[in-house]
Amino acid sequence: MAHGVGVGMERSANSWRLGCALAALLAPAICPAAGGGAAAQGTPELPAIAKECGEASLSETPLPNSATALQERKQIKILAIGASSTAVLGWSREGKPPLLEQVLERSIKGLDIEIINRGFSGELSQAAGTRIKIEVALNHPDIVLWQVGTNDAFAQVPVEEFEASVRETLQWLKAHKIDVILVGLHYMKQLAKNDHYQAIRASLQRISAQENVLRIRRYEAGEILGRTLREAGRPEPADFGLSEAGYNCMAQYVARAIAVGLYAKPVKASPPSPKP
Amino acid sequence: MPRHANAVDFWRGFALVSIFINHIPGIWYERLTHRNLSISDSAELFVFLAGWSLGLLVGSRKEPVTAGRLVVRLGGRALTIYAAQILICSIALAILAATAYVLDNPLLLEWNNAAAFFQDPALTQIGLVLLTHQLGYFDILPLYVVLMLAAPAIALIDKFARPLLVPLSLALYFASLTAPFTAPTWPVSGQWFFNPFTWQAIFVLGFALSRDDGLGAIVRRKMNLIRGIALPLVLIAAVLVWFNWFPDPIRLPEPKLLFLNGKSFLTPMRLLQFLALAAVFSAAYALFAPWVPWLTEFLSILGRNSLNVFCVGSVLSLVGQVIRLVYTGSFVIDTMVVIVGMGLLWLTAWVSEWKDRQTAGD
Repeated sequence: MAHGVGVGMERSANSWRLGCALAALLAPAICPAAGGGAAAQGTPELPAIAKECGEASLSETPLPNSATALQERKQIKILAIGASSTAVLGWSREGKPPLLEQVLERSIKGLDIEIINRGFSGELSQAAGTRIKIEVALNHPDIVLWQVGTNDAFAQVPVEEFEASVRETLQWLKAHKIDVILVGLHYMKQLAKNDHYQAIRASLQRISAQENVLRIRRYEAGEILGRTLREAGRPEPADFGLSEAGYNCMAQYVARAIAVGLYAKPVKASPPSPKP
Repeated sequence: MPRHANAVDFWRGFALVSIFINHIPGIWYERLTHRNLSISDSAELFVFLAGWSLGLLVGSRKEPVTAGRLVVRLGGRALTIYAAQILICSIALAILAATAYVLDNPLLLEWNNAAAFFQDPALTQIGLVLLTHQLGYFDILPLYVVLMLAAPAIALIDKFARPLLVPLSLALYFASLTAPFTAPTWPVSGQWFFNPFTWQAIFVLGFALSRDDGLGAIVRRKMNLIRGIALPLVLIAAVLVWFNWFPDPIRLPEPKLLFLNGKSFLTPMRLLQFLALAAVFSAAYALFAPWVPWLTEFLSILGRNSLNVFCVGSVLSLVGQVIRLVYTGSFVIDTMVVIVGMGLLWLTAWVSEWKDRQTAGD
C-alpha cells in the first residue's frame, strides 16, 4: 500500500510560527521570540520525513516536562500504550530499536531515547487509563504515547464514558508532570458515515483541544491522502497504516511531533475543561 | 461416566463464563461479572482452580504414581494445552483475516495484537509458536502452558520436600515483584500480560490448599476463623472497587508492586483479596446448589470440560467482538451474543463428555 500522505497535527494553522520556532533552533538570532529552554542545548535537526509520507503540517504543542528532562539528563523515556504499538513506534527488525527511537536519536545529538512498550491491543480507554497509572508509577516516563479511540468506537463505548475516562487519565498525567501525545483514530472510508466512530473521533478532538494535548491526527491524514489519490485517479488506500511503510511514516511523524514539542514555546494555558 | 457436580467444577464453570463475557469488551453483561465488586477477577479464579485440579490429580490415592510417570503425565497435559493455544490462535487469526476481507475493513488486521502477524508473519509465527507473541485476550493459555511445564517440578517438590513448596513459590513471587522481572515478548518488545513468575503463586496455592494435609489441612481446621477475617476484607474491597478508591500509584512507597493493584503482576492486593473471596465463597456452593440444580449442572459440565470450553469460549469471544462491531452492539445484540455463546459452550462440554462416554463404551 502506498502512503503518500500529509499528516496533520493539532494547531496546524500556526505552522508558519512554528517554522519560525524551528528556524530559531538553528539560528536563534533570526527569530529570537521562538524556542524554549531546550533550544539552548544545541541545534537539533528536525527528524526527516520520507518523501513517500508526504508533507506534514506541524504542531507546536509543547512537551515542557520532556524538554526539562532533555536539558537535565539528555534522556527521554517514552511509554507507548494502547492499541498496536507497531503502528506508532514503526517497524523494528533484527533486534534494532523501533524506528521512532532511531529517528529521534539521529536527529537530536546526544539524546538517549528509551521506549517502554506496553501496548495491549483491544484494550478500551478505561482499562488503558488504569494501566497507564501503574506503568507510569513503575517506569517514570517523560512522555506517554497513547493510541486511543478506535477500540472504544468498535466496542460501542458511550461517548460520555469514553470522554470521562480519557480526560481523567490526561488530568492525572498532567498533575504528575508527564507529557502526553494522543494518537487518534484510524481513517477508513467505510467508517466515514459510522456515527459512533465519528462521535468518538470528535470527542477525542475536543478533549485534546481542551486539555491542550498534542494529538496526532491520523484520521485527517488518511482522509487527505484518500482525497489526493482520488483526485489523481489512483486507487484509494483503505487505511493509513497497516503496512510497513505506513507504520514507518507514522513513526516519523510522531518523531517530528516530539522534536517540535521539545523546542516549542509554551502556550498560554487553555480555559479549564469541564469536569468529567 | 462424568463425575457429579461439585464445587470445584462449578466455580471453574463460573470462571469460564465470566472470562467469555469479559473478553468481549464493551458488552452490556460485562457489568454483571464479579470484577465490578472485586479486586481480583475470573483469571485468578481460573488459575487457582487449575492449581487445585493439579493437586487433586497428583494427590489422588487411587493409584500410586511414580515420579517418572508423574512427569510424563503432566508433561503430556502441558503439550495438550500448548496444542490448544496454537490451534485457537490460528483460528483467531483466520477470523480476523476473514472479517477484514468480508467487511473490507483492514483495521481488523490490527485488532488483538494481530498486526505483527499480518505485517511480519515470518518472525511473528516463530513468536506465536514460542508463546512470546500473544494475541490480545488469548494470553491466559500461554501462562497455563508454562505453569503445566512447571507442574512436574511442583509435584516433585510436593512429593519429596512438601514444606518447601509454598515458601519457594512465595520467594519467587516476591522476588519478581521487588526486582521486578517478568517474561518478555518477541518479536514485538514488551511483556507477557500475565507474569508467570508471579502468577505461579496462585497456582501453587491452589495446589497446596487442595491437599488434605499440610497447608490445606491447616486452612480447613481454621476455616471459620479465616472466613471471619475474610468477610470484612471482601466487603472493603467491594467498596474500594465500586468507588474506585485506590491510592495514587505514584505516591506509593517502593517497591510499588507490593502495594499496587496490578493484574499483570498479580500484586499482593489482588492475591489476598482473591484468597479472602475464595474463603468466603467456598461455603456458598453447598448453600445454594440444591436450590438451583439447573445452574449447578450447567456450570459444572463446563468446569468438567474446562480446556475445551475455554478454547471454544476464547474463539466465541472474538466472534462476539466481531458481531458487536458489525451489528453495533446494543442490549438485544449483546443478549443474543451471550445466550448463543452460553449455548455453544454447553454444547462443547456436552460433546466432550459424549465423546468420552463413547470411548468408555468401546
